[in-house]
Amino acid sequence: MGSGPTVGSDRPSLLASDASPVPERIPVTDIALQRRLTERFSTQLLTAVSARHDTTEIIVGPGELVSVMSALHDDAEFRFELLADLAGVDTGVVLQVVYHLWSPLSPDWLRVICDGLPRDDPRLPSVTFLWNGAEWAEREAYDMFGLIFEGNRDLRRIYMPPDYQSFPLRKDFLMPDDASRSPGQGVRPIEVAFQTAESGRVPLMRVSPGTGSLAGWTRPGEVGAGDPDSGGQVGP
Amino acid sequence: MTGEPRVRSLDDPSIMVDSPATIIDAVPPYPPRTEREAEFYSLKDGEMFVNLGPQHPSTHGVLRVVIKIDGEQVVDLDPVLGYLHRGVEKICENGDWHHAISNCDPLEYIASMFSEAMPVLVAEKLLDLEVPRRADYIRVLAWELNRISSHALFIGWLALDLGGITPILYGFIERDEIVEMLAALTGQKLLFNYLRIGGVNGDLNHEFLSRLGDWMSRAGKRIEESSKLMNENEIFVGRTRGLGVLTREAALRTCVTGPPLRATGIPYDVRRAHPYSVYPELEFDIPTRTEGDSYARYLLHLDEIRESIRIIDQVLHQMPDGPVMAKLPRLLRVPPGRAWVAFESPRGQYGAYGISDGSDQPFRFRIHDPSYFTLQAVGQLVPGHLVADTMAIMASLDPIMGGIDK
Amino acid sequence: MSVVSRPWSRLSLAGKIILPLIAVFVALNLVIVLGWVSGILPWLVQAILDALGDNVGILRFLIAATIILVITVPVAFMNIFFEMKLIAFVNLRVGPNRIGPWGTLASVVHGLKVLAKEDFTPTGADVPAFTLAPAVVYLAAVMTLLVVPFAPGLYGYDMDIGLLYFFAVGGVGVVGLMMAGWSSYNKYSLLGGLRAAASLISYELPLILSVMGIVMITGTLNLNQIVTAQEGSFLDWFLFRQPLGALIFFIAATAEASRTPFDLTEADSEIVAGFATEYSGMRFGFFFFAEYVNMFILSAMTAVLFLGGWNAPFDIDPLLSAVGITTPVSVAFDPASLGVGLLWLVLLAPALIIGLLTAVIWMLKSSWSIVVSLVVAFLLFNVIVVGALVTFAAIDLEWVIGLFWFIGKTVALILFFVLMRATLPRVRIDQLMGFAWKWLVPAALLNIFVTAGAIVILDQMGKTL
Repeated sequence: MGSGPTVGSDRPSLLASDASPVPERIPVTDIALQRRLTERFSTQLLTAVSARHDTTEIIVGPGELVSVMSALHDDAEFRFELLADLAGVDTGVVLQVVYHLWSPLSPDWLRVICDGLPRDDPRLPSVTFLWNGAEWAEREAYDMFGLIFEGNRDLRRIYMPPDYQSFPLRKDFLMPDDASRSPGQGVRPIEVAFQTAESGRVPLMRVSPGTGSLAGWTRPGEVGAGDPDSGGQVGP
Repeated sequence: MTGEPRVRSLDDPSIMVDSPATIIDAVPPYPPRTEREAEFYSLKDGEMFVNLGPQHPSTHGVLRVVIKIDGEQVVDLDPVLGYLHRGVEKICENGDWHHAISNCDPLEYIASMFSEAMPVLVAEKLLDLEVPRRADYIRVLAWELNRISSHALFIGWLALDLGGITPILYGFIERDEIVEMLAALTGQKLLFNYLRIGGVNGDLNHEFLSRLGDWMSRAGKRIEESSKLMNENEIFVGRTRGLGVLTREAALRTCVTGPPLRATGIPYDVRRAHPYSVYPELEFDIPTRTEGDSYARYLLHLDEIRESIRIIDQVLHQMPDGPVMAKLPRLLRVPPGRAWVAFESPRGQYGAYGISDGSDQPFRFRIHDPSYFTLQAVGQLVPGHLVADTMAIMASLDPIMGGIDK
Repeated sequence: MSVVSRPWSRLSLAGKIILPLIAVFVALNLVIVLGWVSGILPWLVQAILDALGDNVGILRFLIAATIILVITVPVAFMNIFFEMKLIAFVNLRVGPNRIGPWGTLASVVHGLKVLAKEDFTPTGADVPAFTLAPAVVYLAAVMTLLVVPFAPGLYGYDMDIGLLYFFAVGGVGVVGLMMAGWSSYNKYSLLGGLRAAASLISYELPLILSVMGIVMITGTLNLNQIVTAQEGSFLDWFLFRQPLGALIFFIAATAEASRTPFDLTEADSEIVAGFATEYSGMRFGFFFFAEYVNMFILSAMTAVLFLGGWNAPFDIDPLLSAVGITTPVSVAFDPASLGVGLLWLVLLAPALIIGLLTAVIWMLKSSWSIVVSLVVAFLLFNVIVVGALVTFAAIDLEWVIGLFWFIGKTVALILFFVLMRATLPRVRIDQLMGFAWKWLVPAALLNIFVTAGAIVILDQMGKTL
């Protein structure tokens, strides 16, 4: 099946319209909710309200996110008080943030997709003013995708070390080169070619961190050696 | 700090590893990145940082909590995650939907039937697949057994973090019996790998049923004994009552779900709010409490164990015959689409959001663990209490680091 | 020399033990006989006895101090074993059962393990304070044993201010804990040390105030006299005459010993090991021992002050005379009359008896090797001799019975401490200090007032409390 999707390949678009037709035996979705949403937000949505199974879905742009979310949270006819999840998505072309909300007034889940965030500068407003639990979820989205949530007072990395350079869950993240763009690179090289006895090279005991990916693993004079930091080279 | 911030790798031979409290400086060696970090890492007169470090007997997994204390009182709290981060979401994108089942198992390692259910339910939703009813009933049985064993462990942990060393062993007796019967069913005691897309892996067998019947005759007895040791215990009640009070509004704003939310009085349980599987056909109540403190959360867990035993009883009576696995092609291509699934685990509402692009690999598999928000709530509940209460509050909110760190 | 080494290497293990012993035995006998005959040995013995006779007090004190220091180690081992087994039984498990019969040697092995660990001082630690802290804590605990009356006549030193000495020296342990907490250069240790200081000092006051009632009743601080004041039956024990005092003392003693529910100084689920986080090896072993010895000492003190010390709960003389034994029984036997025969008896008799028993056992149980039968014979000999001595002593020397009762009461209290640890969770520092200052100190003061009032009233009525 290959090594997964790559950026810019001609994948089917993941916007709403390509959902497969829903057979009749799937539980009924909340038509009333779709109607209310269309009435209220039709000008602010990027596409029509869609629904599949027990989830109604709306797609907004980053500019409209704050007003839509506030309305969904505060209005008496919606009362989407529970934020179930805040996820980042990399479609390969653009970045998205997907919110899942629950309301006591509707048997459906509501999925709000904030679409159209460009890869090089994905900025969108934060929803921490409505739910301060979203602070950490947005930190994770920043850590994994690079999404910048404006208004989040604590937007720093949460899983990866603080000096990590890349965003792991993006589709253009290829191990190990991206992992190597950090000061931890070379300390414990994870992809070193296996040296057999016949190839004439014997890996040495590493004596200093070094900076290159093969530093300290070869004898002086051999290819890849010559790390100026490794004073006092020792033999095996 | 001038120049590049130098973050020392642990392989650096110039680090002297001398003690658990000093191996990682509580203050990071780089300038603060955000205003919250700046606010946290600035000390007033008389305050100091203590690292409840990644090696600690009481953090529920590998968690580092930096607390800013003024004498014995906690002023502020900053959890540092990532010690258990395995990149499960990324790994799931590189395997197919079946691999995701065993990848997601170790997320909630205490009750791993629930974490397995994530890829399974999402894939079934994307496939519009109807699971055989017997398989659904078996799933509910396994889920409720896992819930009881997880709650038994919770009660033990709570007591252990408060200093009582006996209830955890009673809880483990209860858990052991359940885990042995699940081992007879699935072959595993911890990471079951039992749920499959389309059903479960294997029908109930004789040993499982005999152990289950045996256990049902004295279900929860050990927990009742253990609760007798703790419910009216002056010291236990004094340590937990009024501690870490989570109000309704704060709970909703922090998006906690599960027992902490129900202990504040909001009767939100995904099994009733958004039913799935065969829960609509089963009769059970949603226990709630109104105080929202640690004692209420503890009592709520006891109530939930009783409800789970009720559910298991009904499931055993109503179990239909039939196949336990739907017919699926070997190479499972899931039609393109997006699906969100939520279900009730012992710690709250588990959510899984899956995007499929038509191949057999998930395009994006998002895992949402309730302990993530619960741990955030710890950061809001603890300041103002004492150091000893940090552990009590964290234990009563029942986070599990496997799911938090993914 | 090769001639000697060859037969030596052909000996069995038993032979390698017995042959040198015989050689030493013969040589020793030769020396003794020669010394006796030539007159050197009696003169030497007489000179030693004269010197000792002039300084009996110091000698007695030295022997008492040595014995006390030596018995604390087995006592701590016994406490550790009790704790492991009893908590295991409460937890519905078994505890150590492989090392030694029924796991009895498990705590010995723990002690050896602690000795074998690496002993280091953390960088940045204040080395003198760090090194001395375990010693201070241990000695503060052990020195208090000097005044505890184990049996009539069996005490370290009879002080008229024994009770005061006990509390004064026992309180020095707090200094040791603070030293440990501060000098470790570790914030956990600091927290632990501060908690220890706060909790121990808070509970010193109720501890001391609660025994003031006893001091008022008996009019003395001498522990021997306090025990003698509880003679008679168990209704004379101060437990019934000072119930509130007993309760307060026991609670305060639990806090002083840092036992659950007051063990937040070493709360290992919160601050790893408290003040002892940076200690390893035998330094940690000292803290460990000190805690268990403290438990023993406080149980002993509770027994002495409130449970009658070495007094039996009822009088057994009627029982003994019913059997036909009248006390005091005098065994008309003067060991000095044997002369040099005494030395022969002491040196030769054990060896002969053990040899005889070995031969008998080895012949009866042919599957055991000589070494095994030797060991079994040795144990059997000990049992016989100790049994005989105890029987004689119990009838002739009243301190054996007194010791039995004393140890019995102390062990019962130790078991109660352990049961508390098995069942109760821990209190928080503010709850602990609040309880001490707001409840125990006023209760102790109330006790003093009520006791004083009762003494005056009963004095008027002509009775005594």
